[in-house]
Amino acid sequence: MSHGVTTEKKTPSAARLRKQSWYQQPRYRRLAAMVTTAVVMAQVTGVQGARNDLFYALEENFTGTGIWIWLGIFLAIWAVREFLHGWLRGLLDRVKEMAAPPADGAAGKTPPPAGLPGLVRRAADGSRSLNGLFRTHRGYQLGGMAALLVVLILLPLMVSTFWQQVMVDQIGMFLLIAIGLNVVVGWAGMLDLGFIAFFAIGAYSAAFWTGGLPVEPPVELNNFLVIPVAVVTCLLAGLLLGAPTLRLRGDYLAIVTLGFHEIVYLTAKNWTEFTGGTRGASSDRFSIDLGFWSYEWGLDPAPYYWLQLAFIVGVLFLFLRLEHSRVGRAWTAIREDEVAAASTGVDTVRFKLLAFAIGASTSGIAGVIYASKLGFINSEMFLVLLSVLALSYVVFGGMGSIPGVLLGTAILVWLPEYLRDSVDPQDRYMYLGGLLVVMMIYRPQGLWPSRRRQRELRMSQEGTGAADALGAQPGGAQG
Amino acid sequence: MSLSDSWDVLVLGLVLGSLYAVIAIGYTLVYGVLQLLNFAHSEVFMAGGFGGVIALTIFEPAVDPSGAQSVVYVLLGIAAGAVLGGVIAFGLEKAAYRPLRRRNAPRLVFLITAIGASFFLYNLAGKLFGRYPIAMPTMYENKTVFTVFGTSVSVTQLLIVGTALVMLAAVDVIVNRTKLGSGIRAVAQDPEVAALMGVDIDKVVSRTFVLGGLLGGVAGFLFGTNLQVEYTMGFLPGITAFAAAVLGGIGNVRGAVLGGLLLGVVEAFTVEIWSDAWRYVGAFAVLVLVLMFRPTGLLGERVGRTA
Amino acid sequence: MLNKSIVRLAIPVAAGALLLTACGSDDDGGGGGTTYKIAFQGPLSGQNVALGENMENGIELAINEANSSGDFDFTIEYLPADDQGAEGQATAAAQSAIDDQDVMAVVGPAFSGPTFVAAPLYGQAGLATVSSSATNPTITEEGFPTFLRAVPNDNAQGGAMARYLAEQDGVESVMVIDDVTPYGEGLADVAIEELEAAGLQAQRESVPADTVDYGGAARTVTSSGVDALIYAGYYEALAPFATRLAESGFEGIGISGDGSNDDEFINLAGGAAEGWFLTCPCTDASAEDATQDFADRYQEEIGEAPGTYSAESYDVANMIIQTIADLNGDVNRQSVYEALAGGEYEGLTKTFSFTDTGEFENESIFLYQVEEGVRGYVGNIDELIAG
Repeated sequence: MSHGVTTEKKTPSAARLRKQSWYQQPRYRRLAAMVTTAVVMAQVTGVQGARNDLFYALEENFTGTGIWIWLGIFLAIWAVREFLHGWLRGLLDRVKEMAAPPADGAAGKTPPPAGLPGLVRRAADGSRSLNGLFRTHRGYQLGGMAALLVVLILLPLMVSTFWQQVMVDQIGMFLLIAIGLNVVVGWAGMLDLGFIAFFAIGAYSAAFWTGGLPVEPPVELNNFLVIPVAVVTCLLAGLLLGAPTLRLRGDYLAIVTLGFHEIVYLTAKNWTEFTGGTRGASSDRFSIDLGFWSYEWGLDPAPYYWLQLAFIVGVLFLFLRLEHSRVGRAWTAIREDEVAAASTGVDTVRFKLLAFAIGASTSGIAGVIYASKLGFINSEMFLVLLSVLALSYVVFGGMGSIPGVLLGTAILVWLPEYLRDSVDPQDRYMYLGGLLVVMMIYRPQGLWPSRRRQRELRMSQEGTGAADALGAQPGGAQG
Repeated sequence: MSLSDSWDVLVLGLVLGSLYAVIAIGYTLVYGVLQLLNFAHSEVFMAGGFGGVIALTIFEPAVDPSGAQSVVYVLLGIAAGAVLGGVIAFGLEKAAYRPLRRRNAPRLVFLITAIGASFFLYNLAGKLFGRYPIAMPTMYENKTVFTVFGTSVSVTQLLIVGTALVMLAAVDVIVNRTKLGSGIRAVAQDPEVAALMGVDIDKVVSRTFVLGGLLGGVAGFLFGTNLQVEYTMGFLPGITAFAAAVLGGIGNVRGAVLGGLLLGVVEAFTVEIWSDAWRYVGAFAVLVLVLMFRPTGLLGERVGRTA
Repeated sequence: MLNKSIVRLAIPVAAGALLLTACGSDDDGGGGGTTYKIAFQGPLSGQNVALGENMENGIELAINEANSSGDFDFTIEYLPADDQGAEGQATAAAQSAIDDQDVMAVVGPAFSGPTFVAAPLYGQAGLATVSSSATNPTITEEGFPTFLRAVPNDNAQGGAMARYLAEQDGVESVMVIDDVTPYGEGLADVAIEELEAAGLQAQRESVPADTVDYGGAARTVTSSGVDALIYAGYYEALAPFATRLAESGFEGIGISGDGSNDDEFINLAGGAAEGWFLTCPCTDASAEDATQDFADRYQEEIGEAPGTYSAESYDVANMIIQTIADLNGDVNRQSVYEALAGGEYEGLTKTFSFTDTGEFENESIFLYQVEEGVRGYVGNIDELIAG
């Protein structure tokens, strides 16, 4: 607006236009940014507000010592960056140069230099050779997987019951959800903000078919038998939602799925005669009765852990095969360019529906396990917020990449539990939000991106393609 | 339902709808220039509510304000809401979105950043100002101003609709008549060409955020006057307004207004006919139905095409 | 590029500083002797954190007072077990209390839903849980081994409201509005039943606690022409609702339960709170010297006025501390549970004792009314009806 006004009043000469006041120099802009960050950090780490005194926390935070510490830290960073930058850069370059492997390809033959550069060099060499080993030898790959599996199987025996509960009720549950969501978002490139709705449908199926809801089912089923029923239910729900909406583009699909979730949630909440509403309903636990041998899963979390692990491994096995099948390639084609995919004969609607239904049924399985582990469900377990969180887990890990999604979900679910003891519990999600922002800015591809996704991102950065089929890219070239 | 009942409900719906419309414009403007679902806009809205409370608490309204006093307090609240909303939106763009834009990050990354920023902001507000509702200090006696077809209209309702109308008109003028508006439209149509033509994209984007933030902040203040201010107050109105923007055709300013009003009215009638508990079912059912038949919303997309 | 390197530097520094400030804060040594812990399971984050904070503050106040009083030869520590008020988090929260062998009793779970999930775990561990706010009547029917309810359940309060209204002259039709929380729905169910049993016309509406506009609900109430309104929910939602009701000209009797029996209701609703009746299983929270004294100490220690369930949680924590002291060193989870379940404790808000199923024994409900901006004590409802 302002430049419009100034041009009308007087025509400034080019020189005057180019002239900058001292505070417009990048250096002082950065100073302002640093000071702002310090002030925000002081608020973030400051005291909790008090009832009936709106300004209590602000006063405390601005007069306490915290703000000075933060100002000190950020001013120091600013000073180092502005005045010692050349020296630091030189140092880094020297380390890099010394650590670089010799140009003649005789890596490993020349002894690494001493000190820090040597360390960097050895680490780089080590990871490179390890990487090579795993990539070239299938045997090592399988061995590594087997070792990982053994560790995972033994894991509950090594941690406290508290962590077992966290692993089963939260990490494991969200892992299954994230694997399913990854199919929809990561592979087929559809933006789904209502994924937990299917989770809810799965959980309520479990409660219904085991006779926990206020209404009687036609037959009462064992929980293991409920799983295929829940899968079919979620599949149908996925088709029901998907069929009319899949021709919508990314953002429209996002809001429609979000609306779908809200409708499912409100139905669970308000249709109390069927669902038990907010007061909830009970659900049976898993049990096996083979005549000669029977087992019932009780309160102890560890048996659930192994059950869950079996499900996750099974689903992963199926999905990994799917990823490299014709279906997986079709999804990739749709994600990268839907129009091109359609014109080369990919039945886009069918494959998108398939992705939707597969994702939904995975979520449904998770719902069944969740309901039977807790033995109780109510509508408040399926808030819209959870769908939003699930999506961020997938992107945080590196969407489209199974190990990335697993790792990202595990870390993000684990983090608030870990922070339980070290920060005010009320603030945990503030840190989580901050972490998401920082992570997306500095590592947009996620923790462990798939190679294809990395390439897509690179292309997108160079401006030669869209990184996902969610329509055009954000506008605004670099100014 | 009798005719006078319908009038009552319609007025309630239009009041709520005009709030949704004002918030939805914030979503739509940002979407227009960045194709970004700015999830954190609901926190801008929340900031506006707190801005109003903070300013009015500092100036401690008289016990029974009337006449000129009331006008001053209301203007003060509106200004404070707008300023805080604008500041948060400005900071959000600078700190979270600009770095992403510089590296041409894909849109999903923007979305997750927005989600993260939203989590961060509302939890920070809860930490600073407490996690319980705060009533907006009394600015005027909320009596009936006039009666239309047997439906009484209160000061708050009049204030909300009046302010919303003024702001909507102002936005329409800004987008269609001013230099900033043509910048916004140019960037919305084709950022690269706009840059080639000498539009300073960073500036346009930043100012678009601020414009949306001003509107969202004022809406937050008005919403807080009608209900109360709380750190989680942004979530539900934010989602509904987001739906309203999509319903009208996201990126389209007039569409956002239409969508907001429509959703407000649909909600009010859902409450009347069915129950408060099913409020959003009505709203989202309408959204899904409309999108099934008009996949790009009622008025179609893009800021650029409204001109 | 330049910006990138600076941030690479900044992030570790920031993270380090964060850790430092986080670790440095909780470092207060206790007195001598053995240390026992009292855990609190409730929403310390998430949507319902305000309630959890009220309760936490009450418990911490009780613990601090006990530790600094010098009356006890042991030290009590506080262990927060945050369940976000969510069932999915309840197992982990409960487990964190169970895993800590020093925890002798738990205050909570705060909500009924998490109670259903957590109570079996506590039962398995033999750890007593005393909830001052989970009021769903069916909890005690489940037979959880160590669950004690230190508050009358919804049946008592919903019934009392209905009986009181039935006795008022000119009240023939009543609307019951719940806030679609387990608490509100439980109250409303019982109230409707009792109203119909008393021969009154009763209607039921649901208005969720997170409603964005109470205009529609207020309209429903006024246009239905009922003589009285029962609101089953918390003061946060009742305050804006009462304001809308007053503006739309509702003149009937308004009555709400202990979730709204809070001075904050008057602060938020202002003049619109005038005339509202509030019921509570607690005795007069402002008139008696002891509770006023509690409010003053709370204000001083915490820096804000006590909120919903603050005093109740303070009472429960003190009951636990007293029970541990009375055990004279023979303190383990089993003995603490047995002593709590069998004992009687005279608290600020009420006298605590439990039935065999862990249900609260004393079911008196008291009535308050907001008059001239103050919650005034009216009396014991059963006595009011009889008299």
